[in-house]
Amino acid sequence: MPVYPHRAKLDRMTAVIETTGLTKTYGAVRALDGLSLSIPRGGVYGVLGPNGAGKSTLFRILLGLIRPTAGEVRVLGQHAGDPAVMRRVGSMIETPRFPPYMTARQVLEWLALAHGMNKDAAIDAWLDRVGLTEAANRRVRGFSVGMLQRLGVAAALMTKPDLVILDEPTSGMDPPGIQEMRALIRSLADDDGVTIILASHQLLEVQRVCDRVAIFNRGTLAAEGKVSELTAAGERLRLSATPLARVMTVLGDKATLDGDAVLAAIPRAEGPALLRALIEQGVDIDEARWVGADLESVFMAETGPARTEAQIREALHAG
Amino acid sequence: MLADAIRSEAYRLTRNRTVLSWSLIFVPVIVLAAAIGGAFFDARVERMADQLPPQVTAANSALDIGTILISSAGQLANPALLAFLLIGAATIFAGDYRWETWRLITARNSRANLIMGKAGAVKLMTLTGLLLFLLAALIGAVAKGLILDRNLIFDFGGQETRDFALLFLLGYVRVIQFLLLSLLAATLTRSQLAALFVPLVVGVAQGLLVTATPILGWSPVDWQTQLLFPGAAYETLKAVILGGVPAAVLAEGVVWRAVASLALWSFIPFGLSLWWFSRQDLSKE
Repeated sequence: MPVYPHRAKLDRMTAVIETTGLTKTYGAVRALDGLSLSIPRGGVYGVLGPNGAGKSTLFRILLGLIRPTAGEVRVLGQHAGDPAVMRRVGSMIETPRFPPYMTARQVLEWLALAHGMNKDAAIDAWLDRVGLTEAANRRVRGFSVGMLQRLGVAAALMTKPDLVILDEPTSGMDPPGIQEMRALIRSLADDDGVTIILASHQLLEVQRVCDRVAIFNRGTLAAEGKVSELTAAGERLRLSATPLARVMTVLGDKATLDGDAVLAAIPRAEGPALLRALIEQGVDIDEARWVGADLESVFMAETGPARTEAQIREALHAG
Repeated sequence: MLADAIRSEAYRLTRNRTVLSWSLIFVPVIVLAAAIGGAFFDARVERMADQLPPQVTAANSALDIGTILISSAGQLANPALLAFLLIGAATIFAGDYRWETWRLITARNSRANLIMGKAGAVKLMTLTGLLLFLLAALIGAVAKGLILDRNLIFDFGGQETRDFALLFLLGYVRVIQFLLLSLLAATLTRSQLAALFVPLVVGVAQGLLVTATPILGWSPVDWQTQLLFPGAAYETLKAVILGGVPAAVLAEGVVWRAVASLALWSFIPFGLSLWWFSRQDLSKE
């Protein structure tokens, strides 16, 4: 059932978010460091990054919850925090919280009134769409994290926004719930023309649902582009070597086992140095070749620091 | 937009049964119970009349409901009603900090409207609470009349209507002024406990300090006393409304000092709350 039957497809060429030199500091910590980013209208846009990369700070600035230290940000062409534009944005940041004495239905009725809507406006349809029909009259204080997430998504979407910002929308959900949420997000983007920006640590989910992604690292933009382009460009070094454990030790969290080989999520420039160091330390390398990547390997390559040859040798000695 | 904020806050309040019970129901029920209990006690005393001295048994031949209503309107700003209305006000003002729900509503309205919406909901709650208090007093008076087998009269002319209306308005303003301290405490501290206890502490402190003003050479009607102690301003205006000797001895101009005091004690906490909230980082809930 389309949620926005009368909405025309919006112009996909216009940016819904534009930031220029966006900086946010908390004391000595730079949560965002001169971020310049343009998010196009339409589709699902993923924002990725390790903890502390600046994703939540960006979302909070976009929603007018905090002010940037420097730089400019525009949301749907207006200043972030402008009440007129915020009414066109739905959001769910982190695990949503609700007044515990209210039922799920009452929460949506309350938010509908806060938005200037009729309190009966399509509440049942939204409860059904996020799978909370049976829990509609239960008090929120007894809800699991997954149920709170579902209610948070309904609260974000019920006002028929042009832009939806979701932070970890599938956190705490069971696999069927994750599948349903993925389908809901795709249908909102594809059928209703809503632009969805989501942050998630579940990279496989992001790869499945997002059209474009931005990868943040230490408050800066490490990579940005279509998922298909990034995964095609991203690659890992596949090493068949003996002893494999020593190679794993050297690579640390940049290594994943792939059968009897190791996939090294390292920049291509680091490859020769790694191979030389491994050979010098008596590791027999049967095969080393660069293979195509998934989003996880792109993420690891972009967010981990490139090491010098000396650092690789040091790690090798320590191993 | 402001209407949306008030409607949503009022809706949320009506779904909070705990707050409704304590803030709106509890005091009127106690008032009603006390009136009925007192009437049964009086009836028992009357049955023992021949054993008691005549000054104790001086029975009223009729109960004037109008007088009881005016008397009750003069007691609207009593400490018990203030304290229990404060429970509801603190929940409305600080609930979004406590439950981390600001982010759900900041996207739906301007910050000024959100704060004014909360203040509007508290005003509606206060109005309801005061009306229920008066209703309980009225029902209690009727019950007393029935229990004691008295004639009930309602002598409510133009003067009584004026006194009742002014006393009700004054009591309402005094309660709102007191509850706005809760808004300031909630906004500054993000704490529901502070929203509850700061006004109580301020109220008690003012009640104690006002008795010490003669040490400073201030009389109860001096501008310092009136401006620093809104409770004194309330009593001044109540005396003026009720007239008689207390009103006759009031100095000229004291009414305006009292009005200014209640206005300042209302607008300053509200203005400070609005100013602070408009630049508050709401991601740290």
